[in-house]
Amino acid sequence: MIDLLHPGSWFVKSDPLLLANKKFFTGFDQGQPLSEYTFVVCDTELTGLNKKKDELVSIGAVMIRNLQIDLSSMFHCFIRPENIDPTQATLVHRITPEQLESAEPIEDVLPRFVEYIQGSLLVGHHLPLDMHFLNKATTKVMGGTLSNPGVDTMRMAQGYKRVLLGHYHEHNPREISYNLDDLGREYNLPRFKPHDALEDALQTAYLFLYLIKKFRKGGLVTLKDIFQSGRVGSFRY
Amino acid sequence: MSQNADVHVVAPEMAVSFLKGIMPFDSLDDATLNDLARHCRVDFYPKGTRLLTTGETEITHLYLIQRGGVKAFIKDEQGEVTLKDFRGVGAYIGALGIIRGTPANLNIETVEDTFCFLLPREIFLKLVAQEPTFAHYYLKSFSEKIVTTAYNELRHHKVSKRSGDDLYLFSVRVGDLVKSLRKVSSASSIQQAAASMAEFRVGSLLVYDPMNEEDIVGIITDRDLRGKVVAAGLDYNLPVKEIMTSPVQSVLSQSLCFDVLLKMMGTSIHHLAVERGGRVIGVVTSHDIMLLQGHSPYYLFKEIRGQQEFSGLYVLAQKIPEVIRSLIKEGAKAGNITQMIAILNDHILERMLTLLEEELGPPPVPYCWLLMGSEGRREQTFKTDQDNAILYADPVNAEEKSAAESYFKKFAAKAIDHLVNCGYPLCPGEIMAINPKWCQPLSVWKGYFSHWIDAPDPAELLHATIFFDFRSGFGDSNLARELRRHLNKKARAKDIFLFHLARQCMSTRVPLSFFKNFIVNRDGEHKNQLNIKHQGLTPFVNFARVLALKHGISETNTLARLKALFAGDFLDQELWAAANDAYELQMQQRLIHQLAQIEEGVLPDNHINPEQLSDLERRMLKEAFAVIERLYSVLDKMYPVA
Repeated sequence: MIDLLHPGSWFVKSDPLLLANKKFFTGFDQGQPLSEYTFVVCDTELTGLNKKKDELVSIGAVMIRNLQIDLSSMFHCFIRPENIDPTQATLVHRITPEQLESAEPIEDVLPRFVEYIQGSLLVGHHLPLDMHFLNKATTKVMGGTLSNPGVDTMRMAQGYKRVLLGHYHEHNPREISYNLDDLGREYNLPRFKPHDALEDALQTAYLFLYLIKKFRKGGLVTLKDIFQSGRVGSFRY
Repeated sequence: MSQNADVHVVAPEMAVSFLKGIMPFDSLDDATLNDLARHCRVDFYPKGTRLLTTGETEITHLYLIQRGGVKAFIKDEQGEVTLKDFRGVGAYIGALGIIRGTPANLNIETVEDTFCFLLPREIFLKLVAQEPTFAHYYLKSFSEKIVTTAYNELRHHKVSKRSGDDLYLFSVRVGDLVKSLRKVSSASSIQQAAASMAEFRVGSLLVYDPMNEEDIVGIITDRDLRGKVVAAGLDYNLPVKEIMTSPVQSVLSQSLCFDVLLKMMGTSIHHLAVERGGRVIGVVTSHDIMLLQGHSPYYLFKEIRGQQEFSGLYVLAQKIPEVIRSLIKEGAKAGNITQMIAILNDHILERMLTLLEEELGPPPVPYCWLLMGSEGRREQTFKTDQDNAILYADPVNAEEKSAAESYFKKFAAKAIDHLVNCGYPLCPGEIMAINPKWCQPLSVWKGYFSHWIDAPDPAELLHATIFFDFRSGFGDSNLARELRRHLNKKARAKDIFLFHLARQCMSTRVPLSFFKNFIVNRDGEHKNQLNIKHQGLTPFVNFARVLALKHGISETNTLARLKALFAGDFLDQELWAAANDAYELQMQQRLIHQLAQIEEGVLPDNHINPEQLSDLERRMLKEAFAVIERLYSVLDKMYPVA
């Protein structure tokens, strides 16, 4: 729409959805009880890990309201990559080449996702990676980046372990696996199929609930508490 | 945007398959399940979180446990906490409150880190209204809860007299059955006694000493009058003293009818005096108890005793499971049930060997039919392999020796055949009287035990342990006693032998924790199943055997050994009580499991699938396993490796 109205413009104006989102999170209050926030736990599948070349092939997300996973509100989409290489994607993901061929392009999917996460905090396992590809896509398609604050469950898990083991433990943190699958096993969480964006998002959501409620038992009741206690999560404004 | 909508209405597969896996949701079609799943929320409650509080919490949704577990308990005004239930994966919380529209009737607290699906109250109520299976399921399971509670209380001897016609063998005290006391002086004539029996319409009279009416010295019964007087042509004017049975066997008035029945069947005495506070208050007969119990083990027992044909015994032996089934259903404790099985099996054996002696003529030397292993310990369940042997008196010369050898060879071969026909399978290890090695005179048997004890070879000992649990099944029990004396004398002093036995005992792995992390068989036919015999019961059996041998205790039954160890101060009370309960509970589990298999027409085995146990059963089983660890540590201290 914007492009149609300003055909010659080199400056891509941010999409109104992004602007609204930005407005929402300006002066965002971290001091509310955790149950007041809405979280969107998301996971993306990619064509590869090359930050420059690779693209999103699917986005899965579940919503957490009142610190409960809301199964009525989920998001799952396949995306047709621009540089499609069918043989590559099927190796890791549970996505068939046919599914990718018939999927929608990123231009159609992304605005719906941005609408879905409106006003929510983003949660992901090793979230910076997902954010990189999401922001790359929003910049291209919608002319701006996401303003949603993010929480990284991997860093939460590291913080939780620090709290559990104490600061002086001699354990080399590198020896501990923070892989989503390994954490699920360690905490005896219900298990999901890996390498499916929606299933991984659910797995991450279970991990998030587990960690945040375990933290809460220790008296950490606000977002700020959690952030400060273990330097957990990557917050951006 | 229609595609967008499509994406959102599909519930995740895990949610649908979770609901599909639990009752009564499994009866719903996929579309309904999908719709339900989308209305669920998932919550996590760390261990120790209170979910519901009695009388306070308004229940806004049904909880379905996806992972973890909760306990249900009530707290009375004094703050006394009574545990009502444990619930685990797949169980629900809050249904009763939602259906009745009342606040929580129990306190619920998580005992593990727990994930629950939450189904909104309105949706659940709609289901209950629309799906007949739902209403039926929840109402039925409420009444089952009550049954579970009853079973629990039974286990703790808390059941006293209760209305309804079940459980009477286990709830009625024998004192309640006694009618007014009828007695006669020992100096009265037989005719006088018979006259008062006719007058009072009773089948027996207690006999007192003419010097002191309170002193009961004997009993006479109808049978005495028939057998000892009329049939023998005895003078009716002789005093009762001449024909009475003396002394009278008695039971305490507070004994449960079940225990009295066991005593009657064990001793073949049908009239027992009932004592209260040291005084005899009357007589209880097998008939009195029979009246309580429509179809009882006693009928079977009587039929076995009267049987004249081998083929008749085959039929009767097949009826044992049916009788045991009714006992289990009445809530009998496993210890009682296995005793009952032992008694019935013993009577089959006794009847059979008596018929066999009639067929083959009397044996050249006295003998004793030995029972080994679980039969020796009176711990058989439904059909266990035959483990038997013949022990005979040492022949005095070569002639007698060869006569004995040929007689018992023939005798054993026939006996084993008959037992197989009765449904007792052959022993795969050939520990049977038909094996010449296990059909030997006393001196040879003594030699066997001396060898096992003096020169213990761990590998050999492994196969020999079942011999240490022998008892006399039929015949001259003095021979078995003599052998036991020999064994006790030898074993007590032999620490190296006991050491090997103890170490062998501890080599059985204990299933440490529960279910998903339960130690179960990882492969083969019985994948993910627990062998309740080897992993659950054998450690207790082995423990009791080692300590019984160490302390010269002749009992072979595991519960009796444990009790004797406690009585002899070799085991502290707390551990004894814990071991007793844990062992009995597992026997119960095993019996119930095998009963179910028999009803399905499958051969009974010991493989239990932990997934199919109720939460309560699982929890109790888990606690039982913890006791094994404690027993092992006792042994470990006694016989350290280094």
